[in-house]
Amino acid sequence: MTKQLFQGNQAITMAAEVAGLKFFAGYPITPASEIIHELVNKKHIKVLQMEDEIASINAIIGASLAGLKAMTATSGPGFSLMQESIGLAHMMEVPLVIVNVQRVGPSTGMPTLPAQGDVIQCIHGSHGDYFPIVFYPNSVSELYKYTIMAFNAAEESLSPVILLSDGFISHLYETIIPDRNFDIKNRTRPPLGAGNRHFTGLSHEDSVPKTSDVDNYRRLITRLHEKQQLTAQRYNYYEYLECSKDTDTLLISYGALSRIAYYFKNDFALYRPIRLFPIVEEIKIIASRYKRILIMEMNTGQYAHEIERILHREVEFIPILGGCIDLNEIKQKLYEQRY
Amino acid sequence: MNNDTNFKRYLKLDLLPTPWCPGCGNGIVLKTICQAFDELDLPKNGTVVVSGIGCAGRSAGFFDLDSVHTAHGRAIPVAEGIKYANDALNVVVVSGDGDLIGIGGNHLFQAIRRNTNITVICYANEIYAMTGGQVSPITPHNTKTLTTPNGNPDRPADIQFLFKSNNCFFARTTAYHLNHMRKCIVEALKFKGFSFVEARTMCIVNYGRRLGYKNSNEMLLHYKEFYKINDYAEALAENEIGIIKSAPRSSDGFPSA
Repeated sequence: MTKQLFQGNQAITMAAEVAGLKFFAGYPITPASEIIHELVNKKHIKVLQMEDEIASINAIIGASLAGLKAMTATSGPGFSLMQESIGLAHMMEVPLVIVNVQRVGPSTGMPTLPAQGDVIQCIHGSHGDYFPIVFYPNSVSELYKYTIMAFNAAEESLSPVILLSDGFISHLYETIIPDRNFDIKNRTRPPLGAGNRHFTGLSHEDSVPKTSDVDNYRRLITRLHEKQQLTAQRYNYYEYLECSKDTDTLLISYGALSRIAYYFKNDFALYRPIRLFPIVEEIKIIASRYKRILIMEMNTGQYAHEIERILHREVEFIPILGGCIDLNEIKQKLYEQRY
Repeated sequence: MNNDTNFKRYLKLDLLPTPWCPGCGNGIVLKTICQAFDELDLPKNGTVVVSGIGCAGRSAGFFDLDSVHTAHGRAIPVAEGIKYANDALNVVVVSGDGDLIGIGGNHLFQAIRRNTNITVICYANEIYAMTGGQVSPITPHNTKTLTTPNGNPDRPADIQFLFKSNNCFFARTTAYHLNHMRKCIVEALKFKGFSFVEARTMCIVNYGRRLGYKNSNEMLLHYKEFYKINDYAEALAENEIGIIKSAPRSSDGFPSA
């Protein structure tokens, strides 16, 4: 297969088609709109432009329950609007893929510029406890691959899986090989119209709402948690580069910003989570080899706090606030912290 | 002629009683929906019920069909997703006035615009009942509720005109007019396009009681005395129930250059 030039958002749509996408509902938003522009021209994929992101996520919940692989794509403001129904999809165990092409927030922020400010919102945006699987690639070819992984993980976990991107990667053009040779997971649950099941956001057991059975609620949440952890372990994707020199420092970064981390590969060991959440064991093992943990991200330390919590040790973080990625600024901040 | 109890096949009888208060009118609407299903002999495999949140929202779980109990106000977009994913399904939304016209009002308006081929049955009790009795989008002017202790300062929404904008189906009926309600629901289910039945139903515990009604029967009698049936009229007056006459679909717009 030959290499071809594609934009990040385009790669997402091509991969979604390979993964079996049949239904897309969305609302226009910069920098994610190219996704709906591309999909609307594909045969065999039903595309709806809804009145807002709330309607979009709810429409894909309906379509997914009706048996179709479904996806939506948005950016921060739309992702905020979707949060309540993301919780609903977790409670009803609906497989979905939600693409969030991050831009600078909060609020309208700087719509055309990249950021990584929605990291914590991915796992705590909706109310209550839920345990989403989140992928965050850092190149066009990875967007292609992990879109397919997101669909597979959604089917395996019966949950909404989040594919994070940002205005930088999604608008980047790179050459990729659009490989169609992936193992695709198919739907196991029969579609709506085949029985007398009741899907509800209420705490429930076997299709029956249980609004004040505390023991049942605890069993339900424990089961959902274990299911997410188990699925996440099967999608254990990360990049770890040991340093050629002897170093005591591990530099953690992800998404767009991790592309510049390669520049420092001769000074630091590099770790890049691709499955951002849930955080399972591998980071503990790798981090145990280093005295200092540095985390660089385009926010004020969202992932750093999570890593600190998991490792039970202090980490240093370098906030590169959203908007631009500047090598000199990063160099300055990295070496300032070091000395 | 159908057997009188045939409608029960659409219900999960083992889950009864419902969580609704004594005197609630929701059971009347639920039963009438099932009678309408029975009259049309809707296939149990192939019919899906979707609901939002609130007292009426709980009715979805009692249908012996696949059903989805969505977030507050979001029944219509979920139902549209189901319908656009599988056109062969009969998709019926059951929810309350606060859910469909209040928090979900924009989805209702957009579904009319899209003319999605689904049926919406609104249990219209004029109040947010499950949360204790707060003002709803169709609570009458000057009515006292928990959040309007000096009377509702706003006029109730009269949504029938929205449906005329795209030749969709709209009917208003009440829990007293049982045969009429059944006819409205049957016609709504048969309608090709977006259909909506506003079924007025009484809430005695969190509404009527505070307005001076002694029991829900008195509220039913109010429906009997206040409302007159006026089917296929151009529009319904405040004290009329019925199915509104369809108008031709508008296609105005900016012409292609």
